[in-house]
Parts: sequence; structure tokens; C-alpha cells
Amino acid sequence: MDILFSAFLIIAGAGLFAMIGADPAAAASETELGAAFWPQIVLAIMIVLSVVNIITNVKKMKAEGGSITSGIDVAGFLKSKLFIGMIIVAVMALILPMIGFIPTCIIFLMVYGILLKAPNIPKLAIAVVLITIVIYVLFQGALDIMLPRGTGVFRSFALAVESILPF
Amino acid sequence: MFDLLVTGFSIVFTPSTFLFIVGGTIIGVIFGAMPGVSASMAVALALPFAYAMKPIVAIAFLVSVYCASITGGGITAILFKIPGTPSSAPTTFDGYPMAQRGEAGKALGYSLVASAFGGLVAAFAMALISPQLAAVALKFGPSELFAVSFLGLSVLSCLDSDNIVKTLISGCIGLFLATIGMDPMLGIARFTFGSSTLLSGIEMIPVMIGLFAVTEVLKQTNKQKKIDVEKDSTAKGGDTSAKLPSIKELWETKWTMVRASVLGTVVGILPGAGATIASFLAYAIEKKVSKHPELLGTGIPDGIVASEAANNGATGGAMVPLLSLGIPGGNAAAIMMTALVIQGVQVGPLLIKQQPEYLASVFASMFVTNIVMVIVSMGIARVFAKILSVPYSILGPVIVILATIGAYATNNNTGDVVLMVAAGIIGYLFSKLKYNSAALVLGLVLGQMCESNFRRAYTLKNGSIVGIFASPITFIIVAACVVMLVYPFVKPLISKKKAA
Repeated sequence: MDILFSAFLIIAGAGLFAMIGADPAAAASETELGAAFWPQIVLAIMIVLSVVNIITNVKKMKAEGGSITSGIDVAGFLKSKLFIGMIIVAVMALILPMIGFIPTCIIFLMVYGILLKAPNIPKLAIAVVLITIVIYVLFQGALDIMLPRGTGVFRSFALAVESILPF
Repeated sequence: MFDLLVTGFSIVFTPSTFLFIVGGTIIGVIFGAMPGVSASMAVALALPFAYAMKPIVAIAFLVSVYCASITGGGITAILFKIPGTPSSAPTTFDGYPMAQRGEAGKALGYSLVASAFGGLVAAFAMALISPQLAAVALKFGPSELFAVSFLGLSVLSCLDSDNIVKTLISGCIGLFLATIGMDPMLGIARFTFGSSTLLSGIEMIPVMIGLFAVTEVLKQTNKQKKIDVEKDSTAKGGDTSAKLPSIKELWETKWTMVRASVLGTVVGILPGAGATIASFLAYAIEKKVSKHPELLGTGIPDGIVASEAANNGATGGAMVPLLSLGIPGGNAAAIMMTALVIQGVQVGPLLIKQQPEYLASVFASMFVTNIVMVIVSMGIARVFAKILSVPYSILGPVIVILATIGAYATNNNTGDVVLMVAAGIIGYLFSKLKYNSAALVLGLVLGQMCESNFRRAYTLKNGSIVGIFASPITFIIVAACVVMLVYPFVKPLISKKKAA
């Protein structure tokens, strides 16, 4: 896995190095280093270090008798709680602008709590609602941070809730 | 100078002013402890309250909010691994493992005392040698500031000496991410792939919150045994009091505290350098001089003390160029300057001559705030520490929600939440492959400062690379950086030779 990641960094780094180098606007002038200079230096160092990392890993792999793909269990990962957790967090980030903060918070806290095997679901549900109210009142109300309202009916709902806030 | 100090204390110990300082400290610590509320936001939120106060009282009040909010950021860094500001990131290295071991109270105690000490050192530096320090800071041009930011980057070699190549790669990834968006000198779009969102660059706060907080929740999720998860969370809250470490324990960290406070103050004085470089540098130096460097990062007090004393020292240090030269060192200092100007303070070289009572008020309120802060913060930290006894099935998702608000509140942009989640997932991959998330953050934080100062220096020296390093300050700092970066590679060779 480490070797694959390093190989990805080398390929991506080389591609980006060539890309910024090909931009005529980023070229250097007599007294200006140009927009390409710094990223190319950084990418070059990253590529060299990644090559060093691959060499070190290949040596280690040969000594231990492993292979490039050893230690990678895609099927196991896809079934794991970790993968489901990643999906839940990603979905939360994507639905936040659509359905707004309050519904996202309730759904996320509930679903993630179940994933972490909360022992008592009704208790979890009550805690989730209370936590959402506290967080919302604190940040949207007291601290005046405009939390996402969502769109359509969710926006109308958020505006209605905002109108009853005491702050 | 003695008159100045007496004037300051006589102002601050007026009952009404003192009460406002205590109030400001409470507000500051609470705001600072909340994810998404930075020091600059805390001062901005407190600003409306200050309008109704007399100028000197308002200044004392705002200074107390400013100083206390930086300290508050360390509370969440220790308890939830959510650094309130980038300067609190090194606090997570040792603070969070201590909290995990059920020593949250002790970790918070070290953090608060170190913060107060750092703040006091900076306050005295400000009051006693402000003009001299400001004069030294003026000697720092682009080439010297490049050297300082490069010194910050050389910390990379100390973050994980067992995986030095991977740590340097992580730092390079951070430096590369910092180049995405508009070029700082010419305004040319780089690596934006036609996206207007990427033009403004990669936001640092969402990346940092994702790499630290979201990654940690994902790691806990991966723990398969349900019972263990519940037991762990209960165990974490075992020590929920924010008790101070004993005098003996504090005495053992005395040199760390002194080193980090002085370093933080000096770095804070340099315009544009700031608390982040200070805390990372202090941590790295601690790793170099410590008798047990291998223990740093496993949850020992020295790591917390170094980071917190340095970032609070830098906060106070930033007041030196602000008051003496009228140059704000960062966002929070800029808002402080606005607030001071609104109150009629003429920041700059004439301040000490024309309005000495204001300078005295700032010094005395910083002094009092840093002492009051320890008492106030202990009470607040005690409440926060209780949260650790909540089962992880509730606490874990709540941390993600707080992190989400923190990422979103930076720009009121839901795109930053997506960025935070991506950083969290990448952070997990990083930890599995033994890359270093802190190094990535450091690269991202220092990247633009390093690049823009280097290019500015190149232009000022009429296109001469050699000219950039001709300044003695630059040469000495860069030489120190090279030694720090090369030493980890040379060290095994020296050891081998010695063994042979």
C-alpha cells in the first residue's frame, strides 16, 4: 500500500510539475522567479523523497518476502465499520447545504451513534434532539454564526426556527 | 518605566475595570474553547460590548478576551483533539494522549499554567523593552522572514524521527497544497483546473480540523469491540478535574517553560511570523534538548508546556509591533488594533509619549488576565472535562458536528465542510501508512509565507539568489535550518562510524 501511495505521489507530482511548467504566465523573468518556481521546487523534492521511500520499502519487502499488495484487504475494508463511518461523514457533508444544519445534525448523530453501537436507542434519540437544540441555540443564537439553512422546505423550516430564537 | 507600571495597575485594580477583566477572561476562555470561534472572532464578538465602556476599560476588557481566547483553544486540543487555532496543534501531540490515559485534568493544568507563564513573560517584554524589540523587528525584511518561516519548516525533521522521509513527504504535500489558488506575487491561477472555488486556495482551518478531529473519530470507529469503545470513553473521563500539577511537577518543567515563553515572545514580535511557528518551533526545540525525546508525543507534560507557553508568549509578543509600530502580526491583532483605534488609541511610535496610560493599561490587563485566567479556566475546563465521561457513541459524532461548525464558520462555506471530511479521510490513510498529519499542516500553514518572502527577497536583491542569503541574520538562521534538516540523516552514519 505504501509503495502504491508513493508511486501515486510520483506520477501526480510529475504531472503537476509538467503542468505548471507549461504555463507561459508562470515563467520566470529577470527579477521575478515566476509562479512556477516554488511549486516545482516542492514537487521535485516530493518526487525524490517518494522514490527514496519506494526503494526503502522494496528492500524491506524483499527481506520480509512480501508483495506490493500484501496487507491490502479491499473486501474486508468495504465491509468494515470504518468504511461505513467514512460514507456517513461524507454524506453528512454533502447533504448539509441541501437540508440545512438541524436535520443534518439529528440524522448524523443518530446514524453514527447506531454505528458505534449505542446501547439504548430511545435514550440516544432523546440525547440527539437535546444536543442538536443546545448546539443550535449556542452557535446560531448566542454566537450569531449563520448555520446552513438548506433549500426549499428546509430553508423555510430553518427561518421559522430562527424567528423563535431568543437572541 | 516604574511609573508606567504603577499607572497600569492603578487602572486595572479599579473595581469596575477588574470586573470587566474577569468577565472578558471568562468570555475569552469560553469562546476560545469552542470549535470555530477563533481568537479574532472572539475579539470581534466582544467588540460591541466595548463600545459602551470608557476607552481604558474597553482596552483592558478586549485585551483580556484576546489573551484568554488563545488559552481556551488549548482546552479542546487536549480533550477532543480539535485545535482551536493552528498554534494549538502541537498541544494535541501530548495533551490528547494524556487525556486518553485519564489524565485530562493534569494535562489541562499544565496547559493553563504554561499559557499564563508565557503570557506574563510576553507582557513584561512588552512593558519593559517594547521600543527596543520593535527596532529589532524592523530589521527583519523579506529575506529574514523567509529564513524564519524556513526555520519553522525545519521543525519537520523533529516531528517523527523514526519516519523522517515520510514526514518530509507529508510536509511537501502541505507545501504543495499551499500553492493551490492565486499566486501571492503575480495573481496567476495555479492548479485550479478551472475551478473558481480553488482560486482562493485551500483553507487551513478545515484541513487542520479534518486531519486531527475527524481522523480521530474514524480511528475510534474502527475499534471493533463495542464494549471496549464504551469502556474507553468512560475511562477517559476518569480524571475530570482540572487540578493544577503540584509545585514539584511544575518545577520539573521550569526550563521548558522559560525556553518556550522567551522563544514565543521573540517569534511573536516578528511581524507576520505568529504563534503557529512559535509553538511548532518550541516543540521541536524541546525534542532536541529533552533528555527523553522519544517520550515526546506519547503524552508527557513537556510537550504541552512547550506548545502552550510559546503560543501565549507569541500572542503577547504580537502586541509589541502592534503598539510600538502599528503593525498587527495577525488577524486577531488586526482586530485588536481596530478596536484600539476606535477607542481613540493612536498605536505607533508616539503611543508611549502621548498616551502612556493606554500602554500601561494594556500591560497591566495582560498581566492580571494571565493570572485570573488560570483560576477561571480551571472552572471552565472542569466542565469541559466532564464531557469526556459521555459514552463515545454520543461524544464521537458530537465531535464531528463541532468540527463541522468549526470548518464551516471560517468562511460560512459548506465547501469547507467537504474539504474537512476529505482531510479527515486522508488523515486516516496517513496514520495507517505512518505519514505525518502535523507535518502536512505545518507545510500548509508556512507555505505561502515562505514562498512570498523568498520571491519578494529575490526581487529586492535584483534577481540574486546569493544576495538573499547575504544578510547575516538570514545566513545564520538558514544555516541552523540546514543543520536541523540534515542532522537526522547524518546521525545514523555518525553512530555507525562510532560503533565501527
